[in-house]
Amino acid sequence: MAQSQVYQVVVLGAGGVGKSCLTAQFVQGVWIESYDPTIEDSYTKQIPIDGRQCMLEILDTAGTEQFSSSESTPASCRSIGPTPTQTYQPTDTTTPIGHGFLLVFSITSKNSFNELKALRDTIIQIKGTDQVPMVIVGNKCDLAEERAVSRAHAFAVSHSWNKTHYYETSARSRLNIDQVFTDLCRQMLQADAEQDRFMQAQEAVYGPLGGKSTSKRDLYGRHRRRRRRRDNGPRCVIL
Amino acid sequence: MASSHDGRSARQSKRLSVTALYLSMSNKERDFEIEDELARAQKNLRELKSKISSQSKKNFVLEKDVRYLDSRIALLIQNRMALEEQNEVANHLDEVEIQEGDFPNDDKTQKYGNLFFLLQSEPRHIAHLCRLVTMAEIDSLLQTVMFTIYGNQYESREEHLLLTMFQSVLTYQFDNTPDYSSLLRANTPVSRMMTTYTRRGPGQSYLKVVLANRINTLIEMKDMDLEINPLKVYERMIEKIESSGGTLPPDMPKSVTAEQAAANEQVQKLIEPRLSTLMEIANGFLTTIIDGLEETPYGIRWICKQIRSLSKRKYPEAQDQVICTLIGGFFFLRFINPAIVTPRSYMLIDGNPAEHPRRALTLIAKMLQNIANKPSYAKEPYMAKLQPFIHQNKERVNKFLLDLCEVQDFYESLEMDNYVALSKKDLELSITLNEVYSTHALLEKHSTELAKDESSHLYTLLKELGSAPPQLPRKENRAINLPLFSRWETAVDDLTAALDITQEEVFFMEAKATFVKIMRLLPHNSVVMRRPLRLDRIAEAAATTRNDSMMVRKGIRCMELLSQLQELGVVDKSDGFGLLREEIEQELMHLGSLKEKALRETVKLDEVLRTIRDHNGYLVGQLETYKSYLHNVRSQSEGKQRKQQKHQVLGPYKFTHQQLEKEGVIQKSNVPENRRANIFFNFTSPLPGTFVISLHYKGRNKGLLELDLKLDDLLEMQKAGQEDLDLEYVQINVNRVLVLLNKRFSRKKGW
Ligand SMILES: Nc1nc2c(ncn2[C@@H]2O[C@H](COP(=O)(O)OP(=O)(O)O)[C@@H](O)[C@H]2O)c(=O)[nH]1
Ligand SMILES: [Mg+2]
Repeated sequence: MAQSQVYQVVVLGAGGVGKSCLTAQFVQGVWIESYDPTIEDSYTKQIPIDGRQCMLEILDTAGTEQFSSSESTPASCRSIGPTPTQTYQPTDTTTPIGHGFLLVFSITSKNSFNELKALRDTIIQIKGTDQVPMVIVGNKCDLAEERAVSRAHAFAVSHSWNKTHYYETSARSRLNIDQVFTDLCRQMLQADAEQDRFMQAQEAVYGPLGGKSTSKRDLYGRHRRRRRRRDNGPRCVIL
Repeated sequence: MASSHDGRSARQSKRLSVTALYLSMSNKERDFEIEDELARAQKNLRELKSKISSQSKKNFVLEKDVRYLDSRIALLIQNRMALEEQNEVANHLDEVEIQEGDFPNDDKTQKYGNLFFLLQSEPRHIAHLCRLVTMAEIDSLLQTVMFTIYGNQYESREEHLLLTMFQSVLTYQFDNTPDYSSLLRANTPVSRMMTTYTRRGPGQSYLKVVLANRINTLIEMKDMDLEINPLKVYERMIEKIESSGGTLPPDMPKSVTAEQAAANEQVQKLIEPRLSTLMEIANGFLTTIIDGLEETPYGIRWICKQIRSLSKRKYPEAQDQVICTLIGGFFFLRFINPAIVTPRSYMLIDGNPAEHPRRALTLIAKMLQNIANKPSYAKEPYMAKLQPFIHQNKERVNKFLLDLCEVQDFYESLEMDNYVALSKKDLELSITLNEVYSTHALLEKHSTELAKDESSHLYTLLKELGSAPPQLPRKENRAINLPLFSRWETAVDDLTAALDITQEEVFFMEAKATFVKIMRLLPHNSVVMRRPLRLDRIAEAAATTRNDSMMVRKGIRCMELLSQLQELGVVDKSDGFGLLREEIEQELMHLGSLKEKALRETVKLDEVLRTIRDHNGYLVGQLETYKSYLHNVRSQSEGKQRKQQKHQVLGPYKFTHQQLEKEGVIQKSNVPENRRANIFFNFTSPLPGTFVISLHYKGRNKGLLELDLKLDDLLEMQKAGQEDLDLEYVQINVNRVLVLLNKRFSRKKGW
């Protein structure tokens, strides 16, 4: 297998909106009828994007509010705003919160849609930029007669969030599933390319960062941090 | 509270409550204070409980502040916060402690007192409101409900009223959720209610008593890697080889698929023993939880019971399996597992767990949840290896979940408790003005739904109160004591009528109560205390006590009661008033065990209170750090405009290795034991927000090592969850060093 980048995707959203079903459909192509609340599951899956193989590591989260709380998770992963939406997030400190995000709601639940804003705010806050690869997903679109969030509204709100792409999916009828992941993957590739250009420009000015070549975890946002730490982080001098 | 729940029959429990009610009412004659060990133990316990109640409310509020600031500070560190917002945050930080005060006027006090009495004693209003509010509004409503309106977490009446409210909200949700699979799963007012409920005193102390040991044992095994996801295991193998400078063997490509990793023999060899270790640990957790059945708080069990009966009602055909899944959806998903996955936020451990234990805890939680759910399909292939554990424990967990539901209802005792409450003339609620106003505002907003009926009490009260005042600025908010009363219900004076009991019963209870009181006051070695009790002698002894008119009066009353009961044919002098005597002896025995129980409970709750206080200390410390940081940032930006303020160098302050170790600042040391006594540290702050820590060896005037620290960086590290700061010879704990710096260097304005 060719060397390829591993991109971390975090699937967020309220409990019961279909995050796990969506993920299972994408990764394994199966439909799961029963509802088994998730604590934290992770999967890998390779997808072809414009002729390149792209490796995704997908983290499916709980979506149960109490799995995140102010002190237990490292702050960089906290998803707590003044609003009550809190979702359990990866607590692994070496894993920055993810490269790309699927923000999932169910078109049958207004509340699940309302919860996305706080999630997005938190991601932006942690990332320190609003240029984060992200897709908004309205799931369960097969349940048209129970729809509580109109497509137009969801689209308009997504668009107002820095033109975030919006998809309606059905994990049950495997509608639009691959599209969602492909779109997100493209965004991550693009962000990465921009990051590379940025890095090249930086290195042209400051010289190479030196040391080990960047491991695959060290992506997006970490380089800048490294540099910062170099400049004015805690400095230890052996006298 | 416990008395009405432990397996007694309903009739007996009613009888007991009546006695309790009787005692409580006659206790109002303050003239007859009993001062024995039992009374003291009970008083202690009461005070402890009220401290826990108020402290856990404080923590709840502080946690919200810290959470709010967590998110703000992140922005500030990234220099992304506008000045106005900085000011807003600063305002938020001021005056964290709310001062005591009164309502602006008496009329308001009366009307609100009436409103909150209604809300408290008729939970349906709040239950209804919980369904109407948005998820954004629910948090503050729940705070008021769980920690204020029903804030006495150990008072049976408030607890029972709160549970009644739960029931009403739960019932509504069951009636309005189309399919069972989504019941109790989404984030709804009910789910938030449940999680908030588990954070009250009894839930916390259960977790502490039952789970804390297991979790701590696991946390201590920092180096025990229990990862069983083949891909991660493989990655770690590669990392290890690379970081030790080795080259990868040709048959180990750098990246592989999950399947390839799983097929790798070395990976399999690593995973094999981990699987059995995990099963062993998870089994230990399970055993502790199952053995803790009796420790499980009544309220939590009662909620399980409601889930069972509501699901039976909704799905009469449902198998136990389905019902257990639903109960597990509450008990494990909302109560146990969050504590296992994030033990720090439940105050079960001190620091954040290291990476390996954290992952192990997550895996344990996943295993427990899997037993409760029994998924037919392992979504992550590697979890399938744990199937045997699921199968072995299915039955056991199902039985446990059903056993949880085996608790008594409280309706009868609630009825009694309500009478008692009505009979108390001094019912009070400690609440803040802003809580009053925000509750009022919510009621007003939804009044068309809540108070449709124009003849309802709620309608009348809301109408009289008019529109809700706006929220006060933090500085003007006050904590008040709101006297609760009802304009419509009068205090119970005529007990016999209220309780539907006969005159004989009243005499009998009074006699029993009075005898018990007398006996609690008589010296233990007194002759009349010998068994079998001779009631007439006891009454006589009391009636002839010298210099104690109270005792005399009680004695005479007892004599009267004995003869009245004799006339009514309730007791018989010839058998030594056998019926009454037996009950009194039983009661005395019961009191003896009550004392034991009170003492045991005190020990447990002392522990809980300590934990809660520690946590409070942590929260307050965190707020302090933020405060100083913010002041610092602000004074820096002010400084740019004004002339640079003259900065005074603070320190150096000297600390020995031992001191820092004790404070937890040094969490790991490479200094040999026998050299530690010769090592010390100097802490200096040359500029606000900047610190220099230098390490010295006795006798050498030059330091060995110097570390420049910026507050920003420390906070950033803290945010990033980086806990240790490497000082070459010692590892310093970021959180603890922040606390220390804060204590040592806090300047009036910034550091
Ligand atoms: N009709 C329909 N039901 C779905 C769909 N996706 C998920 N569900 C159902 O919603 C429930 C919750 O799904 P799950 O993926 O576990 O939700 P999660 O909590 O977000 O992970 C399950 O019972 C699924 O069968 C969908 O696209 N259409
Ligand atoms: Mg899920």
